[in-house]
Amino acid sequence: MKPIIISLLFALCSIATTAAQNNLPLLRISSTSQKYNISQPWEKKAAVTIRGIGILVGKNQIITTAQMAADATFIEIETTDSKTSMPAKTIAIDYKANLALISVTETPHQELLAKMTPVEIAANPKLDDNVQAYQVEDNGKILVTNGSIRGADVTASFVEGQYFLAFQIKASMQGAANSFTIPVMKDDKLLGLLTGYSAEEQLLDATAPEIIRAFLNDANNGEYIGFPSLGIDISRTIDPHFRSWLKLTDSHGGLFIKHVTRNGAAHKAGIQQGDVLLAIDGNEIDRKGYYKSKNYGPLYWMHLIAGSKKTGEKVTLNILRKGENITKEVTLTKRPEGIIPSHMFGKAPRYLIKGGLIFQELTYSYLKAYGDKWKTRAPISLLDAFNHPEDYEKDRQRLVFLSRTIPTEATLGYEKISSAIVTKVNGKKIADIPSLVEAFKTPDKNGIHTIELDGKLKKLYLDAATASTADANFLKRGLPSLSRTKE
Amino acid sequence: MKLFLSHIICIILGLSSTSASAQALDISAKQKVETKASDIYKSIVRIEVTAQNPSYSNPWNSGKFTGGTGTGFLISKNTFLTNAHVVSNARRILITMHGSARKHPARVLHIAHDCDLAILQVDDFTPFEKLPFLSIGNVPQLESQVRVIGYPVGGDRISVTRGVVSRIDFRPYAHTRADQHLVIQIDAAINPGNSGGPVLQNGKVVGVAFQGLTSADNTGYMIPTPVVKRFLKDIEDGSYDEYMQLGLTNFTLFNPAMRKVYNLKQDDPGILVARFYKDGPVDGILKEGDILTKIDGKSIDSAGSVEIDGERVNMSEIVERKFAGDKIPLNFIRDGKEQTAEITLKPFSASSIYSVQYGKRPRYTIQGGLVFQPLSRNLYAALRLSNPRVRRLFAKYLTENIFKERKDIIILTKVLDAPINSYLTGFTGNAIESINGTKITDIDQLHNILNPETMPEHFVIKCDGLNRPLILPGKDLQKINKQILQTYGIKNASYLSK
Repeated sequence: MKPIIISLLFALCSIATTAAQNNLPLLRISSTSQKYNISQPWEKKAAVTIRGIGILVGKNQIITTAQMAADATFIEIETTDSKTSMPAKTIAIDYKANLALISVTETPHQELLAKMTPVEIAANPKLDDNVQAYQVEDNGKILVTNGSIRGADVTASFVEGQYFLAFQIKASMQGAANSFTIPVMKDDKLLGLLTGYSAEEQLLDATAPEIIRAFLNDANNGEYIGFPSLGIDISRTIDPHFRSWLKLTDSHGGLFIKHVTRNGAAHKAGIQQGDVLLAIDGNEIDRKGYYKSKNYGPLYWMHLIAGSKKTGEKVTLNILRKGENITKEVTLTKRPEGIIPSHMFGKAPRYLIKGGLIFQELTYSYLKAYGDKWKTRAPISLLDAFNHPEDYEKDRQRLVFLSRTIPTEATLGYEKISSAIVTKVNGKKIADIPSLVEAFKTPDKNGIHTIELDGKLKKLYLDAATASTADANFLKRGLPSLSRTKE
Repeated sequence: MKLFLSHIICIILGLSSTSASAQALDISAKQKVETKASDIYKSIVRIEVTAQNPSYSNPWNSGKFTGGTGTGFLISKNTFLTNAHVVSNARRILITMHGSARKHPARVLHIAHDCDLAILQVDDFTPFEKLPFLSIGNVPQLESQVRVIGYPVGGDRISVTRGVVSRIDFRPYAHTRADQHLVIQIDAAINPGNSGGPVLQNGKVVGVAFQGLTSADNTGYMIPTPVVKRFLKDIEDGSYDEYMQLGLTNFTLFNPAMRKVYNLKQDDPGILVARFYKDGPVDGILKEGDILTKIDGKSIDSAGSVEIDGERVNMSEIVERKFAGDKIPLNFIRDGKEQTAEITLKPFSASSIYSVQYGKRPRYTIQGGLVFQPLSRNLYAALRLSNPRVRRLFAKYLTENIFKERKDIIILTKVLDAPINSYLTGFTGNAIESINGTKITDIDQLHNILNPETMPEHFVIKCDGLNRPLILPGKDLQKINKQILQTYGIKNASYLSK
């Protein structure tokens, strides 16, 4: 695994750059996105427009990165000569693999695209193969940068912890108007989309063609499903003492399974925490998690799952359990999201305002909003739930918490209460925001809501009538809605 | 009252750094006009301290030698009052009289870290025999004028500043970072070196200067006389017992819905018992959800204040003035019924985890190059522990009664690199939950488990919140340990006794 360095493509020399004829179906994409304000989830932040390039890969199908289309409120496609601009929409998106497929929506534009010849997806390249990265300058000039394949690695590009096969390409690129999603071609076939570039090392990362092919097959085969996962967290077995305790011999590699995601593929197949993963479909996994791939040397094991299999297919795992060799067949599924989603792209954060108490569902983005040092700055109660969701999973779909308290007549005396995990409201267990909304419908006979918290104060009371008055005032002061129950 | 403070805004006035020109002191001493005001100066002494601060990051080391000066004053025969922080971890104390060059060796007779006060004694009191004693007065009025006398930075001679009493409040004491008592704020300039000096009004001591504020100008804080008097009374029996506490967290009853649930009318007194500590004074007497209405016969308002001597102060102030063994009557409402009970105050040692410790050698044990230390405020600060499970154990040590099961929270603080532990550095900063299936309760127990008569094949060490255990082979461990200690220049593999 190698960290991805995404930098802007400024100030680079253009030694290898040549102008080329525009015989490729390159299109400009301009995408306007708006993110929700994490701390005030009823509103969105200012809109941001990013520009990039897409390439036609099928009938009215333009491929680009998920990064381009994430949270997009408006997407527009433009021909490279800027003569025509065409409204478009996302038809399939995979945040983990960082790929998106978009189509233009209007008939004349569809006809225009039909005149272009879609590119084919290249075969997997060999080391030192020559490839070209395509950029479009503001004036419509096509910039082509030559490069060569340096290696293959399994990397995460957009969503942390999601590893996919990518190729490293040595190339010296220059800045251009469209710096997102630069297509990389081999023999005029699409090899991949640029997901990262290190100006210092002059190395590009491009999604592997087999990942693109799998994505397109999935997208063209009914509703988009997504890449499969085993649903395990692993730890390496380099430490010789750890190996001796695990009864691993020197001839073995092996990954220690430290956690099995509830309801994930491995869990359903009976894989247990403490098992050691020795091989996947006969490919032996070494102590650091690599297997020997046919063409690219050692590759990270995740490629044997996400990059090589479809959801619903089976893999055979060789496992060492308490010193005994066993074999398990696992039917691959999409990784269950768990109670704390790893990303919220394309989703709206759910919330409820009750008399000034603000309830939200915990997400990774919420914690990240505490800044670069969120791992030490975020409230310890929420961090703990994030680190150990298994301790909080019971009776929950999502983790509902009281994020903060806006002073109102109903929350008098509660001003300092924040970041407290909610267990029950009016005696009902809280599984998510919709169940919270439901629970608040039934205050007791005196018109009092009882909120049970996992905090210093265990029970909080709220007068239903006073809370309603406060809520009405929020609406008067311009809050669009007191709750959002749909993601 | 003990509390877990995550941020402290106060700074300790501390010790001013040791000055070099001590001989300049007595030149003009004789020329001083002998007035009544200056008579008292002689009883206000300069305290020079050499301290040795233990190292929590390298607990086997002797610690850093530092030094500084503070102020103290004579309150009775061979009894000098000063701040605890002036003489904490002291190895040598010298007292100098105003207008004299002679340094008199002194020692600490009593030290109360929780209220930042200490009593010193000189080896030979003869030179001080004729000096007047400063008497302890009462709480000064707001807006009244006071004088602060001491030996602050900026010169070697005595310094006098004036100010008015600007606030009387219940505030944190920065010395332990965990205690809150009555504090008086004055607008006189108080600077490092002033610490331990008297604040005078009408010739009487109305406070002991002790801390300032980093974020504001012209604010100085002094320890008021109720705190001083309590300290003096506590040590009458020859030893200091520390402050007592109720051992509960309360919640103010401002919210109308909350008042309705607990059947309280607009002006009814009382605060809510939110949590109580197991084994604390109210354990078995109060329950969560009780409304505490009176303490020691005094009515508690919904903000948790009581009236003492015409001033509204935090109800903790009642317990603040009491001693171990004292009984306090409580009135409370449970399930709508008024009830009374009497509690007996007793020391509650578990809360000391939040107090900065002084005068103690840090405890540790080393096995296979792994250094284990019990969690304390000192360790937390020295190592900047950031592991979320450790932070959680620390924050909830009292409120979730973790102390009942785990007297010490043991942290793997360091890995002294050696071939046996090449791959274990990543475990640094974690808390130890169990070893070979036995739950870890304190450092002595952990030490014994790691040093059995016959070594097991492996020590399987489980850390809080980690699913992958740490494995330490038992073979040749004693020999390896000896080598590691030698390599790293560590004399003892452990220091356990408190």
